Amino acid sequence: MSEQNSRASVVILGASFLFFPLLLCGLALVLYGHVTNGAFVRFGNSLLTSYTIASFVLLFSLFVYGDKRKRPISPLVGMLGAALVGVMVSFMFLSQGDLLMESNGSIRAQALSNIIRFSTTFIAISISALIVGGISFASLMNSPTKQHIFDEEE
Amino acid sequence: MEETVLAFFFFWAPGAVFVMGALMFLFAKESSVKRAGQILVGVGILTILLAPWTIPFSPSSSFGHFIGSIVGPTALLAVGIYNLSFSGNVPVGRLSMSERRSGIVMIMLGVLWFEGMHWWILTPTYPAEVNGYWFIFWSTTLLVSTGLAAGAIMLTRRVGDNRIQEQRLLTVVLLMLVSLVIMGFAFDGPRVDAERFAHEFWLAGADVFGMLVGFSLAIFVFAFVIAFYESQLPEPSRLPAPTEDELTRAAGIIAAHTEGGTSDE
Repeated sequence: MSEQNSRASVVILGASFLFFPLLLCGLALVLYGHVTNGAFVRFGNSLLTSYTIASFVLLFSLFVYGDKRKRPISPLVGMLGAALVGVMVSFMFLSQGDLLMESNGSIRAQALSNIIRFSTTFIAISISALIVGGISFASLMNSPTKQHIFDEEE
Repeated sequence: MEETVLAFFFFWAPGAVFVMGALMFLFAKESSVKRAGQILVGVGILTILLAPWTIPFSPSSSFGHFIGSIVGPTALLAVGIYNLSFSGNVPVGRLSMSERRSGIVMIMLGVLWFEGMHWWILTPTYPAEVNGYWFIFWSTTLLVSTGLAAGAIMLTRRVGDNRIQEQRLLTVVLLMLVSLVIMGFAFDGPRVDAERFAHEFWLAGADVFGMLVGFSLAIFVFAFVIAFYESQLPEPSRLPAPTEDELTRAAGIIAAHTEGGTSDE
């Protein structure tokens, strides 16, 4: 029963992060019906770009992991393969005409545009975390000090 | 020189230098390598910031312009939050009351600056129209901030003990953010059209959701690669079972450390 409760609370917590973004996107859709134009293309480009970039970053982190495991080669090769699959799949989909192409003239231009947009989104998420996390932390640090934590200390 | 070559030298190469510097700073153990990483990050970001002057013909230069546009309010917010946080109940190195006041003023100025970009004439415009990257940034910031604020409220309700003040403050922040988004949907700014903002907000949702799925996939593949490698490793060589002499000696050492003393101990 307690396991069910904790699972339910995790689900509610996860849903609370998604509730307002989904609600506001729904409101945008209700107010202006055609706002979804290009959403699938943006989703696809974002997914492939973030997968590829994250794979390369994780590949880099394997060098740190290698220090503790006598520098094995096989995980490096495996992760390099996974990252290269991301690159190849991205270029394969971008070469399929209008499937993932936006208003860019070539596949290279679209790929570079995806990287810049990824950076912009990443910066925006970081600043959001700075605002919300920073305000929470500042409030926490400015709340009254709790004098007695344990009864034994009294 | 050809335009693409110039764009490579003045934008993409500095971008790569920035990423390499950040990775060196994050993952290196030696302090000299970390310092070199910091220098590379500084050089990379400075060169990208200069892109509107070095490669004004390139579409990439609008990213440099966008970064330059948000540096000011972001720095104000970051320093303001730092001042406000560390002028509170900090046992060591507590900041003064004047720094606390300056922190509050900095946060207010930072927020007003960002709002002025939407509702006043401060909108980043490059070269003659609103910078497209600012649209992506602003809608994503508002979208993600509402989610994080609501999540943080629930987190303090479930995990924290007696965190009413934090919950109230975060609720005020959440209401402000939601109001800003709804106002953005309903009213045009001097340079920001309400319909365009709603469209960009929806696309920001697609971007963030795609990013979450992409990151999750990469982490899943990473975990699979590591787990597969670890499962292929040979079993470590086992030591022979202890002899009777060794067991007797161990029993003697244990007995010497567990027997004796008083019941109070």
